[in-house]
Amino acid sequence: MSSESGINRRETLALAMGGLFALTSGEASAQGQANLTFWTVRLNTPELAAALKTILADFEKENPGIKIKHEPVSGNLVYPKFLTAIRGQSMPDIAEAYSYHPLQFAAVDQMEPMDDIIALWKSNGTLANIFNEFAYKKFLWKDHYWGVPYNLDIRPVYYRKDLLEAKGIKPPTTWAEFQAAAIALNDPASGTFGVVFPAGNFHITQHFYMSFMFQAGGSILDKDGNLIFGTTAKDANIKALVYLTDFATKHKVTPPGIASYNTDDAHTIFVQGRAAFGFGTGEVISRVMKENPAMFDKVGILEVLEGPGGPSNKLTAAFYNPMFVWKHSPVKEQAKTFVKWFVQPGRLERLYEAAPGRHWPIFKTDIDAPRVKNNRLLDEALRKVVPYSTDFAYPGFGRPEMGVIDGEKMFAAPVNEVVVGAKTPEKAVMDAHEAMKKVFQV
Amino acid sequence: MFLQQRARFAYVLILPALVLITLLNLYPIIEGFVVSLQAQNQMRPNPEAFVGFKHYVRALTEQDAFWSSLGRTLVWTAGSVAGAYLLALGLALLLNMDVWGRGFFRALFLIPWVIPDVCTALLWKWLYGDEFGVINFLLVKFGLITRPVLWLSNPDIAMPAVIFVQIWKLYPVMFIVLLAALQNVPKELFESATIDGATMRQRFWYVTLPFIRSASVIITLLACIWTFQSFDIVYLLTGGGPASATKILPTLVYEKAFWGLEMGYAAALAMLMLLGLLVFSVAYLLVYRSQSEASA
Repeated sequence: MSSESGINRRETLALAMGGLFALTSGEASAQGQANLTFWTVRLNTPELAAALKTILADFEKENPGIKIKHEPVSGNLVYPKFLTAIRGQSMPDIAEAYSYHPLQFAAVDQMEPMDDIIALWKSNGTLANIFNEFAYKKFLWKDHYWGVPYNLDIRPVYYRKDLLEAKGIKPPTTWAEFQAAAIALNDPASGTFGVVFPAGNFHITQHFYMSFMFQAGGSILDKDGNLIFGTTAKDANIKALVYLTDFATKHKVTPPGIASYNTDDAHTIFVQGRAAFGFGTGEVISRVMKENPAMFDKVGILEVLEGPGGPSNKLTAAFYNPMFVWKHSPVKEQAKTFVKWFVQPGRLERLYEAAPGRHWPIFKTDIDAPRVKNNRLLDEALRKVVPYSTDFAYPGFGRPEMGVIDGEKMFAAPVNEVVVGAKTPEKAVMDAHEAMKKVFQV
Repeated sequence: MFLQQRARFAYVLILPALVLITLLNLYPIIEGFVVSLQAQNQMRPNPEAFVGFKHYVRALTEQDAFWSSLGRTLVWTAGSVAGAYLLALGLALLLNMDVWGRGFFRALFLIPWVIPDVCTALLWKWLYGDEFGVINFLLVKFGLITRPVLWLSNPDIAMPAVIFVQIWKLYPVMFIVLLAALQNVPKELFESATIDGATMRQRFWYVTLPFIRSASVIITLLACIWTFQSFDIVYLLTGGGPASATKILPTLVYEKAFWGLEMGYAAALAMLMLLGLLVFSVAYLLVYRSQSEASA
């Protein structure tokens, strides 16, 4: 049943299917065009996505053989999405996500080593331009780098300059000064709390505990990656927990409901001008600028506090977010080309401008940008917080298990439990230690 | 013979859908069971290694995880379903009468049902807020409290608070079913009972209740099934806190699977949860079948 044109229905169908396959194929096409799928977790707000779109357009212009298909992934669904993709072998060619993902996915043999990019960066001086060697060494596991940093996610302590000045209090630099200031500035009559921080059963809670843990001389792991949370570091970790939770339970200078607070709840209280000190992410800066611009000049960022651990432990939690490439990607070389292009000084300026404070460069030279010079809070954060930033695995580097420990909120639990009076600090720390131990044993 | 042929033809017509539905239902369950017998720890190599019932033993012997979550799940389910049933029944009885604006209120009471769970959770999170929440604001304004109630931050109050949200979410569907059942109660029976001197309580107990009993049992069992496996509202409102006070089985399974990366263990927990759900499902099927036989 051939048609006049010499092509029958079956052939037409075959051609159509072939065309459909060619259209949907994510691999390099016959013309040498490589199609990369790029999943983002942290760049999905409308303003960031719009900025990213222009950056990707620039890349495609400079690299006509590579097309980027950007797919946003919700932060809440990041694990279901990635794990389903691993199981179905449909991972994206390239992704940016949370700081512990590359090692976790490397542990199940899904990651492409990024050693060549690190070697390149070492030879061309890029590594020396990164704020902290921890930024890239945290992705080193089993002698390979499984991701490269592209963004810094900070956890500063914000304060109200006007309230401190009114009481003649200098910005605190030590634990004792901070505690005294928070107590002195707590003023229920005017609806101002001494300090606000999230203590709910959420990931953010443990980030602030982590800062105080380090400042007390404690940690979760030792430098070799062994769990010491409830052993050699126990006393320091309990000290940090008592110090932090005392603001709510003993001094009562926090909002009463912090045991259910997540990031935004604490941010909102501070941005609305209802707390003298607020623990937050860099996003507080853009929220103040957008929602309460009149308060911008009244806000400052504290020096990282010095605790019982002394000056050498003047550290704060922060997270270097990675980019990583899927091991089985048919276009992984092009994916790496994209990483090398994307992670460069000055390249992501449009992202930083789109949401000031929410995203931070990893390069020292990016401090000199007009964006920073014209924004006092960005400048303060870069000077006072960024140089002291470190994360989970301190004082060591990469351990995939830390992703599970953070993921299951194992060290948010002690804060939450002590604040609601469900456990003593010692029991909370020891129970958390037992839970963490299982992660290393399973 | 003709009927048999017609029946055969009908079976042929529904066969593709039947096969598809069976596969879509059975395959995930079988796959889940297989995964529950494998190591499936996404942190370790060789995830498909067979471990037998190791995960089940772990689940059943770890007091802090499975049993306490199961206990909370039962409280959550019983509280939500009982609360929603009582509220729905009260409203259905009210709107079964000739009251002004009956049609409007019938539509109004359905609103919670059509709001997506995520929106429901966010809405109630704002309502419950300690500093900015409307509920605390009103309670303070009317002088009923002097300090905000910590609805989601107090371990003793958090579970009742999330149960209340689930009641709000669940009652419309129960209300609809009960109202439909009430409308089938013959008016003559009420009239004769009234003439015979039956009180309102007696009329409800001996006339209304027998007529709505079967609808009540079915909708209650269905509500138990929906609530037992409900995840979004609790997870978004409290994340399982404070101090694990609202950590129910679905949140535990989610946490172990997607944050703990222990797919095998999470699958075993899910299988145990499925057994719990089967109890409700079998009860539902038995009731449904007995009612079908009675009406045949």
